[in-house]
Amino acid sequence: MKTIFLKLSVLALFLSLTSCDKDDAPKVEEASILEIKTFNNLYAPQTGGQGQPVGGEFTKFSFSENAIVTSDSWDIAFRGTTILVNGGTEIGITNEPLKTGIASVSIVNDVFENIINFPNDSSFLQDGVNTYAIATGSNNGWYNYNPTTNLVLPLAGKVFVVKTHDGNYAKFEILSYYQDAPSNPDQNSVGRYFTFKFVYQSESETNF
Amino acid sequence: MKVSVFMFINIIYIIPLFSQEIKLDSIKINKLKEVVITATRTERNLSSLPLPTSIITAEAISKTGATRLNEILFEQTGLITVPDFGGVEGIQIQGLDAAYTLILLDGVPLVGRSAGTLDLSRISVGNIDRIEIVKGASSSLYGSEALAGVINVITKKPKINMLSGSVSYRYASFETNDANANIIWKKNKLSGNIFGNYFTTNGYDLEESTTEKTVEPFRNFTFQPKLYYDFSENLKLIIGTRFYNQKQDYRTIISGEKYEGKSTINEWNHQLKLTHKWNNKVQFEYEVYATNYKTDEFLNDSNNELLEANFYNQWLFRPEIRKTISFQKNILTSGVGINHETLNRTYFSSNITFNSQYAFLQYDYNPTKKWNILTGFRYDNHNQYKSQLSPKLAVNYKISSFLSLKSSIGYGFKAPDFRQLYFDFTNSAVGYAVFGYNVAAERLNELDNQEQILFRTNGIDFNSALKPESSINYNIGSYYEKGAFKWETNVFYNAISNLIDTKVIAQKTNGQNIFSYFNIDEIFTFGMENNLHYNVNNTLKISLGYQYLIAKDKSVIESIENEEVFARDQNTLASFQLNKKDYFGLFNRSKHTSNFKLLYTIPKLKTTINIRVFYRSKYGIIDSNNNQILDKYDEFVRDYFLTNLSITKDFKDAISLQVGANNLFDFTNPNEISNLAGRQTFIRLNFNF
Repeated sequence: MKTIFLKLSVLALFLSLTSCDKDDAPKVEEASILEIKTFNNLYAPQTGGQGQPVGGEFTKFSFSENAIVTSDSWDIAFRGTTILVNGGTEIGITNEPLKTGIASVSIVNDVFENIINFPNDSSFLQDGVNTYAIATGSNNGWYNYNPTTNLVLPLAGKVFVVKTHDGNYAKFEILSYYQDAPSNPDQNSVGRYFTFKFVYQSESETNF
Repeated sequence: MKVSVFMFINIIYIIPLFSQEIKLDSIKINKLKEVVITATRTERNLSSLPLPTSIITAEAISKTGATRLNEILFEQTGLITVPDFGGVEGIQIQGLDAAYTLILLDGVPLVGRSAGTLDLSRISVGNIDRIEIVKGASSSLYGSEALAGVINVITKKPKINMLSGSVSYRYASFETNDANANIIWKKNKLSGNIFGNYFTTNGYDLEESTTEKTVEPFRNFTFQPKLYYDFSENLKLIIGTRFYNQKQDYRTIISGEKYEGKSTINEWNHQLKLTHKWNNKVQFEYEVYATNYKTDEFLNDSNNELLEANFYNQWLFRPEIRKTISFQKNILTSGVGINHETLNRTYFSSNITFNSQYAFLQYDYNPTKKWNILTGFRYDNHNQYKSQLSPKLAVNYKISSFLSLKSSIGYGFKAPDFRQLYFDFTNSAVGYAVFGYNVAAERLNELDNQEQILFRTNGIDFNSALKPESSINYNIGSYYEKGAFKWETNVFYNAISNLIDTKVIAQKTNGQNIFSYFNIDEIFTFGMENNLHYNVNNTLKISLGYQYLIAKDKSVIESIENEEVFARDQNTLASFQLNKKDYFGLFNRSKHTSNFKLLYTIPKLKTTINIRVFYRSKYGIIDSNNNQILDKYDEFVRDYFLTNLSITKDFKDAISLQVGANNLFDFTNPNEISNLAGRQTFIRLNFNF
């Protein structure tokens, strides 16, 4: 029986040792030479919702122009929490903008600045019939919806690398869904105002 | 003459509670009392048990002034009260949720976990002889749910010819009334205990601005008669029943409109047990237990038109036969039984039945005076999930007459519950849906045919049955008792796998998710518990309890190692990566919990003063920075102290008066701790006859 005790105490010792967390070495962040831009308060209204049919025009954005556009030369488009890319086929939703480009998106879990190399081609997705390149729903795509607070908060560390409508690259991270990007949104915050940061790369084929 | 005989017997019975003169005897009595039956299903001395076990005596309960089970459990080291839906409080043991502790009443299980947690305030403590708590996995004896521990509430039983009784009335803040009547008697072959309790409270409100109260007013009564008939020394019958009824106001506001209703609970427990001693060595126990837990609730709008009505109706029927063979100093316990369980409730498409059969075997082996080895297993065969084999091995080694070491390893499991298998719920306001695992495939196909499904989550199927949640539990500890000192320690580790959680299985065309239940998480908890008791002298007793706890999710640790976990800086809104040190652990777990208790007697005044101070270190209840884990950048519930005080004075003719205050310094945290009502002062008058 003494051996059982020995084993158990060795086990206890082992447990207490393994529980001590080891420090991860601090990450060295490489500075990107491209400028990080922030687009504030992109308004993306929608009609319906809460069980009613969703509608309304999408707000279209172009990375190269750093602006909301009305032409077909958009890269991504917003309506409520839904995000489209200018590529692929029609999803089949109301007021869907015309897709004339070859845009696609790859979702990377990392710190924005750490993403230097473009992801593999195979990880880039386009919209398709009934499917979204950036999945909708809480925790599926870019946000988490908290039913208790009714807040939509962007998931941390979700970066979207976009192949733009004309074949260049951009990466963006959504910072806030609320007007003026409050640091602690609450019930009074006004939603459907996207603030995101992005980098646009038109020179390189491999990295930012 | 008869009267005086009764008086004499009463005095004997009352002595340990009310007399100060016979101090020496009462210490002896206390030692005799430390017999436990929950750990082995036979009477065992607490100090020699190889399992982490503790007892709360009736005397200790009455000194605190507690009236409901949750109040007294809260005061024990390592039992942490956690609020759940609707003001219900559950008990966290060894870092495991309330759903994983089996609650027994005289050895048979309580049911009625409509949302996972059993409401412990259902149990009045007025007729309790003692509460036994066995920590760690005990599925080897009790099967499902006995994963974190077993709490057995044992009612009073007369042992000698007597007639005694008590009535008490207690009034407390929040217009809380508690009235008890208890008669206990034994006359030769027939004995019994009849208990009644009436409880009413006006509830409390931590946020006055809202129409709903934090806890709405409710009232309940308990009627619990129990009869014992001894046909002979060798053949004894027990018939017990308990009836419980509760009515509570039910209020809510939906989009500005007020709704009012009532929620009602009815509970019955019937127990029939025949103990048959064949000879000095062999004893059989035949037990039949039936229990029904039923709730009904409704909400009406201001025009008295029904908005919604919910019901929940659960039955458990359980015959069991146990056999105990004693030879030399060893005991072999075995048993077989059947569980027949049904549930019909709102959000179930039909009445569901669970059937299981089980058998267990336990060998309590004492090779020498120093060693005790307890080993056994239980086999549960179930019609809904994979059969479970729950083994256990525990060892106690007496180093000296005052110090023993104990260690145990055991398997525990919790079967998927009715809700996880058969829930069929669609939220009418928002439109999301939750389907139980066994009905999800069918319901998905139905919705698909109605073209309500946008897409299904990849890689999800329902081909293999949902597995029970299971754990391996280790304990290693010591028990030291010498003179006025008693010191117990225990180090524990639990590895739990196949934890059941919800996952998105599909998205509907209205953009809402459909959820079902899956075996997802693996968690572990480990920690250490310490209890120190010291009788400074005949009039002063102090004790100190402490638990250290770590509880974490293995997959979260893996994700952090894989550099997949991030948080957002509240000011810059930039994401950054978390490292392992940043991970705090599971929600609602405090690293440190502690209690200090003092019992001071003033013999001249026949008065005792009982002060208890409790500490709970910080813990998290929400993921405020939105990365699905609790990390050091989240907002935490701050650490806090609570103090309970009670003063009891005994008068001549077995009358006692008690005054006190729970949460003496009126600590509240309305936003984060819903079950802390603020200071509750009380006065109680107790009369024994």
